[in-house]
Amino acid sequence: MAITESPRFVRADGPDKVTGSGRYTADMNLTGQLVAKFRYADVASARITRLDVSAAKAMPGVFAVITDEDVPDVHYGSPVPDRTLFARDAVRYEGEVVAAVAAVDAATAQSAVDAIVVEYEALPIVADLEASMAEGSPLVHERWETYDVGDGTEQRPNVASFSSIEKGDVQAGLDQADHVVTSRYEADGTHAIPIEPRAVIAQWEGDKVTIWTSSQVPFDARNGVCETLQLSANRVRVIVPHLGGGFGGKCGFHFEAHVAALARATRRPVKLVFSRREEFLAPDRRRESMIIDITTGVRNDGTITARTGWVAVENGAYTADSAFFPQLSAMHVAGPYAIANVFIESSLVYTNHQPSGSVRAPTAPQACWASESHNDEVARAIGMDPVEFRRRNLVDEGIEGPSGQVYGDIGVRRCLEAAVEAAGYGDDLPADEAIGVAVGWWPSFPGPSGAYIKLDGDGSGQIITGAQECGTGSVMTLRQLAADELGMDAEDFQLVYQDTSAAPYDTGATGSQTLLNNGRAVVESAKEIAEQLRELAADQLEAAAADIVLAGGNAHVAGSPDKSVSIPELAGIAAGGELLIGKGSGTPPEYPSASATCVGDQGMAGWAGPQFSCHAIRIRLDRETGVVRVLDVFAAHDSGTIINPVGARGQVEGGIMMGIGQALTEGTRYGDDGRQQNPALLEYKLQTAADVPTIHTTFIEVPDPNAGPRGAKGVAEAPNVPTAAAIANAITKLIGRPVRQLPMTAERVWTTSNTGSEQGGES
Amino acid sequence: MSFLIAESLDDALAAIAAGARPIAGGTDLVVGARHGKEALPDELVAIDRIDQLAEIGPGPGGIRIGALVTHATLMTDPLVVAEFTALADAAALVGSPSTRHVGTLGGNVMNASPAMDTGAPLMVLGAVADLQSVGGSRSVPLDELWTGPGTTSAQADELLIGVTLSSAPQRSGSAYVRLEYRRAMEIAVVGAAAAVTLGDDGTIAAAEVALSAVAPTVLLVEGVGDALVGRDPESAASAAAGLAGEQASPISDLRASDSYRRHCVGVMAKRAVVAAARRAAGEDIAVPVNRSIGIGAA
Repeated sequence: MAITESPRFVRADGPDKVTGSGRYTADMNLTGQLVAKFRYADVASARITRLDVSAAKAMPGVFAVITDEDVPDVHYGSPVPDRTLFARDAVRYEGEVVAAVAAVDAATAQSAVDAIVVEYEALPIVADLEASMAEGSPLVHERWETYDVGDGTEQRPNVASFSSIEKGDVQAGLDQADHVVTSRYEADGTHAIPIEPRAVIAQWEGDKVTIWTSSQVPFDARNGVCETLQLSANRVRVIVPHLGGGFGGKCGFHFEAHVAALARATRRPVKLVFSRREEFLAPDRRRESMIIDITTGVRNDGTITARTGWVAVENGAYTADSAFFPQLSAMHVAGPYAIANVFIESSLVYTNHQPSGSVRAPTAPQACWASESHNDEVARAIGMDPVEFRRRNLVDEGIEGPSGQVYGDIGVRRCLEAAVEAAGYGDDLPADEAIGVAVGWWPSFPGPSGAYIKLDGDGSGQIITGAQECGTGSVMTLRQLAADELGMDAEDFQLVYQDTSAAPYDTGATGSQTLLNNGRAVVESAKEIAEQLRELAADQLEAAAADIVLAGGNAHVAGSPDKSVSIPELAGIAAGGELLIGKGSGTPPEYPSASATCVGDQGMAGWAGPQFSCHAIRIRLDRETGVVRVLDVFAAHDSGTIINPVGARGQVEGGIMMGIGQALTEGTRYGDDGRQQNPALLEYKLQTAADVPTIHTTFIEVPDPNAGPRGAKGVAEAPNVPTAAAIANAITKLIGRPVRQLPMTAERVWTTSNTGSEQGGES
Repeated sequence: MSFLIAESLDDALAAIAAGARPIAGGTDLVVGARHGKEALPDELVAIDRIDQLAEIGPGPGGIRIGALVTHATLMTDPLVVAEFTALADAAALVGSPSTRHVGTLGGNVMNASPAMDTGAPLMVLGAVADLQSVGGSRSVPLDELWTGPGTTSAQADELLIGVTLSSAPQRSGSAYVRLEYRRAMEIAVVGAAAAVTLGDDGTIAAAEVALSAVAPTVLLVEGVGDALVGRDPESAASAAAGLAGEQASPISDLRASDSYRRHCVGVMAKRAVVAAARRAAGEDIAVPVNRSIGIGAA
């Protein structure tokens, strides 16, 4: 049942956020607090020949200046331990932290930062993904061979991780083809751009530290502090006040340890607040640039006989959570198609750019843009309508996909049909308009997660959960799941969340997993209390516990609604004896097997709770300038059962807007010096409210038994996947050839349209 | 740092003569300082309460638009919309609603950015800048006022009190068209304004075209009159596009390459002439043109 069909659904954090009474990390201040500022590398690649902080330390009002020498000797990063909190010997991207200052105010802190003396010997800048993998390329990490990268990752210079998907015999498949189509696509990196630039406050009490931070993943942040400052988990408490968005940019462990180290050195609370420019330059979470080569063999009847792919994914200077990106990108280069013969290899490549990390559906929008553009090229080569071409090749129930996974009941075909029907695909359009269609997919991520619930003596409830609310509303939905188990109202519950010392572990607002995993934990917790309530009610009503029904705030005997006792009354009885406390974690869904051979398997070949989507997007092109305007988006999504339609629709709309930005106007530009040229919102062009098209969303609800509560899958990332691809296919219809660079800026569209330059093509 | 709130024009001029810099909406000065472009001046005089500078009406030599008139007013004022439509088109495209409610015409003119949106309309409408100091006043044509990116020929003690324009002739119209990659919070990649007067036979009787963001200052295209007069609007627009492309000297930057800018400024010039001619012929094209016709239309 969809819970927001209830007219009384109230988002618990809504009033706070809407009225401005909500407090974010940067709003907080502690007595005696100092201000932190960082000295960044400001060069992309260099050896540090001199680092002298003495003048900065001597300045009045400066309480501490710390560098690599002042923190434990720890290389961290999983699975590739390739980094330290502060630069050691060398700097590898412009936003790398060389030193940190804590001072009495911001101006003093900045003066001290400026007074730090750093001298460099320039090193070669590694920026080109292909060149960096070539023999003899300068190395981003000279000591790469000493990094213990874990099983399954092949070690090569400048390659942080590698994976492949191999199935069947691609040469035999290509030999059976009537046409072979080869394409190359290149995507620029992009940014997550949460409205709230990050902030961190740390305060020590004895040997314990409390850290308030704008993190999407408080337990990851805590673990990073524990690892780098060598503290046990119970001495580090991470609390996230309201979070002003993340989009993946605030996943991982960032600057919590730097600030905690400053606070320890100064014996004072220390606060760090990023500027928008810092938010662009420093975090190890931006969306990776990619180069994608695809070759497909196809028969004239539309059957794909083989697909090969070569993918280079930009890692940047250090490995954040990106080690699994190669296999994930390979899955998107394959796409949700029944291809018998597959060979796709993908490498995560070091460069002297900002590190990449999990920004909303990492690697997928770029890889989907490439593969779905390529699929339209393949369809064109055999003279088949691209939607019909997809109908011939999509996976379905009982059919083996490109990685050898055999799918259960899935809605991918229904998504395609729903989107193209809603869009009026095939109807006549004005001369400068076209509809492009793309199909996307995305996994759900089962994992451990925990929650407690308690009912106090008055019958009011509290859910103490490890889950993190990123703005999606998924944590807010937990109240309803608990209420439904207990026959209570969602508003009978308050949430205690985003505090690593209060609640059990959760992965955080990452991987679209909150409702999937923490929903399960909350339901399990509620079931324990339900059991207690039934026992109590059975005593009161002189019936068997198994016959007690919890509904409408009461416990009654099945078949005799009049024979009832209220839950507050039962809670009052419990308050004098055995307290009403539930705990839950539950068993996560299993990862299905996939039969493809995978060198460097990163666990991304078999997907639990696979989500499917199709976007049909109508655009208008200004042919004289190349400016593209998105008019209508017809989105159909199979994210399993939709538990909160308002929230799910919001995720689809937001994902589409992010996808339009990536498609048309965003994109980081780098200079020859390896530095970002547009780390500001004037030159890095997000879509605005004025640009929003009409978005028509349809949910194809196919409950998945191996997923979340009531058969729900994830929904937050999937809507970001096929948007750029669908826009690309519409542009190609209008100008006759694909734009092979992402974003497809007005100038790139105009240039492609007018010069006819394109790489690749049919052979 | 000192911050004086001027009660009168004389107060303001005295403060400026003593070295203070004027501030009205602060959308360039304050935002620039925050972004590290240039520190705030040590001495500021706020001129935003001098009501006489916020007026639009008859003045010596024509209609004066006061320096404190905001973009929000320019885009809706009936006189501006009727007579100086290109200026309303431009004002309506600036920044966001909040920028437009705070930012003033005077600030835009004296900031002297070649990418300013109101500059090209003022050029084609023949506006002159009215400068005043404690020592007196003078009027300067805009192509003499703007000397380079961010620089003007105004003396340090002179305050722009407004711009003066002549009433629009019969059967005339103007328009400003801008290339933009999104529909809000955008800055001109290139833009073009045109003012056109039609003869009785529907051909061009007089025309001016000016360009944004393709030269060190807003650029008045030379030879437009000779090239366009006597032509029908369509062919006149093509001729204007050619001249614009030839005379532009754009740079390559993050927003566009020089060659794309050169091409697009011709497209904008063509569209501006077409829209101005349609308005001259009596057609009511709502402000701004960018939202009424073409790719940016609602």
